[in-house]
Amino acid sequence: MSEVRDLHPLEKALLQWLSENSPSTDIQSLEGTGMDQGSYRRAVQWLLSRDLAEVTESTSTVTVELGVQGEENLKAGTTPELALLEMVDNGASNLQDIQKNEMFDRGRWGSAMGALLKAGVLTREAGNLVRAEETGGIFREMWTEVYLPLQKKEKVFLHQLSGSLAEGVSARAPKRGKGRAEFAIVESVSSTLAITGQGREAWEESRGKISIGQLTREMLASGSWKDGKFRRYQVDIPPARMHAGRLHPYGVFLDTVRSKLLAMGFREMKGSLAENEFWNNDALFMPQFHPARDIHDAYYLEDSVTVPPPDPVIGEAVRRAHEDGGDTGGRGWEYSFDWERSLQAIMRSQGTALSARTLGSKPDIPGKYFGIAKCFRYDQVDATHLPDFYQVEGIVLGSDINLKHLLGLLKLFAVQVAGAEEYKFVPAYFPFTEPSVEIHIKHPVLGWMEMGGAGLFRREVCKPLGIEVPVIAWGLGLDRMALMALNLSDIRDLVTPDLGRLRSMTLKPEDLLGGEKNA
Amino acid sequence: MPKIELPLQDFLSLSGLKNTLGLEEMLEPLKAELDGLDDQQVKIELNDTNRPDLWTAEGVARGLRCYRTGKAEEHLARLGKPDKYITVADDMAEVRPFIAAFTATGWTVDEKGLECLITAQEKLASSFGKERRTAAIGFYALDRISFPVSYRTTAPETSFHPLGEENVMTIAEVLEKTEAGVKYAGLLNGMENYPVLVDSSGEILSFPPVLNSNCTGRVEPGQSRLFCEVTGTDRHTVNLTATILACNLEDRGAEIEPVEIRYPNGRNTITPVIFSDTLTADLNTVSSVIGEDASDLDLKFLLGRMDYSGIQLNSDSVTAVMPPYRRDGIHPMDLIEDIAIAIGLNNIQPVLPSEYTVGAAAPVEALSAGIKLLLLGTGCEEIIRPVLTSGEKITAFTGTPELPIAISNPMTAEYGVVSNTLLPALLEVESVSGHAAFPHNIFTVGEVLRRNQDGTCRTDVNLAVTAGDADLGRIHSILGVICHFRNLELKLKEADDPRFIPGRSAQVIISGRVSGIIGEIHPRVLEAWGITVPVAGFEIPLERLR
Repeated sequence: MSEVRDLHPLEKALLQWLSENSPSTDIQSLEGTGMDQGSYRRAVQWLLSRDLAEVTESTSTVTVELGVQGEENLKAGTTPELALLEMVDNGASNLQDIQKNEMFDRGRWGSAMGALLKAGVLTREAGNLVRAEETGGIFREMWTEVYLPLQKKEKVFLHQLSGSLAEGVSARAPKRGKGRAEFAIVESVSSTLAITGQGREAWEESRGKISIGQLTREMLASGSWKDGKFRRYQVDIPPARMHAGRLHPYGVFLDTVRSKLLAMGFREMKGSLAENEFWNNDALFMPQFHPARDIHDAYYLEDSVTVPPPDPVIGEAVRRAHEDGGDTGGRGWEYSFDWERSLQAIMRSQGTALSARTLGSKPDIPGKYFGIAKCFRYDQVDATHLPDFYQVEGIVLGSDINLKHLLGLLKLFAVQVAGAEEYKFVPAYFPFTEPSVEIHIKHPVLGWMEMGGAGLFRREVCKPLGIEVPVIAWGLGLDRMALMALNLSDIRDLVTPDLGRLRSMTLKPEDLLGGEKNA
Repeated sequence: MPKIELPLQDFLSLSGLKNTLGLEEMLEPLKAELDGLDDQQVKIELNDTNRPDLWTAEGVARGLRCYRTGKAEEHLARLGKPDKYITVADDMAEVRPFIAAFTATGWTVDEKGLECLITAQEKLASSFGKERRTAAIGFYALDRISFPVSYRTTAPETSFHPLGEENVMTIAEVLEKTEAGVKYAGLLNGMENYPVLVDSSGEILSFPPVLNSNCTGRVEPGQSRLFCEVTGTDRHTVNLTATILACNLEDRGAEIEPVEIRYPNGRNTITPVIFSDTLTADLNTVSSVIGEDASDLDLKFLLGRMDYSGIQLNSDSVTAVMPPYRRDGIHPMDLIEDIAIAIGLNNIQPVLPSEYTVGAAAPVEALSAGIKLLLLGTGCEEIIRPVLTSGEKITAFTGTPELPIAISNPMTAEYGVVSNTLLPALLEVESVSGHAAFPHNIFTVGEVLRRNQDGTCRTDVNLAVTAGDADLGRIHSILGVICHFRNLELKLKEADDPRFIPGRSAQVIISGRVSGIIGEIHPRVLEAWGITVPVAGFEIPLERLR
């Protein structure tokens, strides 16, 4: 923690004076401390900024000081006006004669004569200068009331001069070009300063007690902290950055989905990244000529790699379901099933492959299953497509399951997982379910959007896998929900390799997926 | 999913609609979405890949009409006996075996109708007909053709005047010089002779699936007597396509007359084929699937909405005939779905499954959660990267000894292999994160695909951790923390591995079992990645930490 810094000697000197003579005017403090003006101003500034002293009163004063010409006059012991009057008294009668005198330069003699004529102290009679007034008017007063006190280092306050003199002095102290002027009018503020409680404390501390920075074990052991005074910390600064371990925001999002499903009584399924077409498509009753089974819709593995074939009983039942319906109650797709095609290894293209495998391995009835599965689609990578992405899908098995439960389940997802307030059901097409339904939810900003789909698995799917009860298959789109939850617009950011970018992503896990209103 | 773009006014009048109000909702029972709408055009996306009849203006319009009125319509109900026939030559079996055809007279082609006809022709041939392989469509001016027509092969030197070309060309020239020829030449690869339709006067009607002739194969507004044929490699696709087109033209007001196809084996077919599959569903099954007592449902009205005809209600079953333009009714469940759609899904009360089940995370996920907690305690940050990556990153850059499994049809080399190790992903992070404040202690838990001895593959869940600007000591400590708190015995045994500095890498031995690899990354590897700080790391299958 950063501490309040120690007192500067100037601050100490002023605090000491104020601790005994508070309040004090600037002049009193200057005298009392013997500081020069500059040092005093700095000390006052510091004490005020740290609240160690405060201004109790402040007055503004206007004083007269000498300009360059004024200094010259003082050196000469007179002003051009007074000297000119004296020369006239001694017989000089025109400017040419006067300008021969080198006490002042020609210009100054000229302006002095102008001023005297204008003020009526001199007049001209038959071309000769003649004194019109004995005292010398304000030019005499100027010398006695202004020059002489300033020579003695006394302050000359403008408001204390007579009206005409003050006017004359002000006229000779122009605001502009004052460098060469005779006078300068200086406005200054004079303050009265008092010491504060903190100031007294700081003064006490600085003149005696030990000042404690870091509290140490030794101080605690010896008790020496009791004789000391803790230096103050400066508390209003930002914290230093600290390194922190952190879970990935996308991972946190996926875990939130997982915990919602676990809370609803679903068991989690896991499978392989690679599948054969049998489990990825055939077991789902997608005919081998189906448009979604084009070579350009899946990633095929190199030829030397295989995925183990299905159990022969299941394999045969699936083949029959495709060719003539077998004992499924349907007529099948009426084509010749290709085993070579079926055993081709591909990257899993839909999470439903996991559901097919679960159905084929004697699941619990009643049972509810889900899987958050990496899936692979043959797409160009861009702001809305990744080469691999997560899908969450699953199944619900039970002897009394029907379309109403399918709708109920979708509604549950809409409300519990996405926090939707408005939803609607729309007929849909999935190759492996009949009937098929999509649920659309109303986003407050984006409007209606598809959230997921479900359907009853076709008998042609269930029967060959040994399942006699109705099965709901369901799937939810995660990508768009994840982008919205994390406030991102580019899906590639979900898997960014840039640690700086990752650290800039903020997240409140409890607000994900509808947040506390579902708690 | 197929998308179609239709002239708006024509579409509205076909559908019997005054305006587009509520169109979006009206399309839902057809599994169709409104994809765009302006003064002139309407764009519709069709989601049911088994309903090519809906990929046409007439099909969507018919669906809207029936659903609104609840009345099924008649389709091809009064077909007469064919008085025209097409003979199929013996050698077509090897070239392009199937053909279907019909005539449509009495509807005068107008501009918008022609536009829809062409849209349907293109959409059906490209999507349903697999880019004209399984089905391609031709329309002709009926009166310019002398029947019977023969469907046979001809030599590449045969010449005719193709539609849209200036001059007479040989078939070989058509394949080489015309746009359609170049595009579809792949369908005819390796053939010595090519398919043609020739009429009884010897006039070539077309060279399917590439181009019609300029003389007979030109259809223009004002004509009212058309001949239509579909050829292809798949009988089912060819026949269904012809039936869909016949129903569509009939909806426009044309009278359809069938054509007999005389195949060489004597299996003659009259087309368009009236499929009219009959579906029967048990009323108990209807009740148990929909969750409503079937006897409470007005099945005649509901199935009428979906254009079923011949509806028979028995005490325990319902039988209905699917319209002839559909062949996707292959199980009673398909009939039941149509009943549910006709009821309206939003009119069915959602109910939660009542049976109690216990939830459970997959064991590997529970394990992963526990390990991640320990890693967080060591200050590590989690990374998530794609599974697909480039072989270069794994092999050339990182020097991983085991080759990853390659994708045989990669879209780009950047995603050409499946990760078999996670260290490269973490090195990639280090290579682009030099600007991020240190320390860089990062980890990832992810699936990798590994080869088994027997040629099969398996998915492992691995853990990799790296520390940037750090040495072996740091990474060893992190592994030590995990093993300590999980009560596992950790030993390292010096090992050589091209990814690491010799003498600074080791096998990780957990409770006596060789489990993973640990070490300081070799500067050669750092250089390949463009990493400017020393890095140490380890990788281990998660299960070894159980």
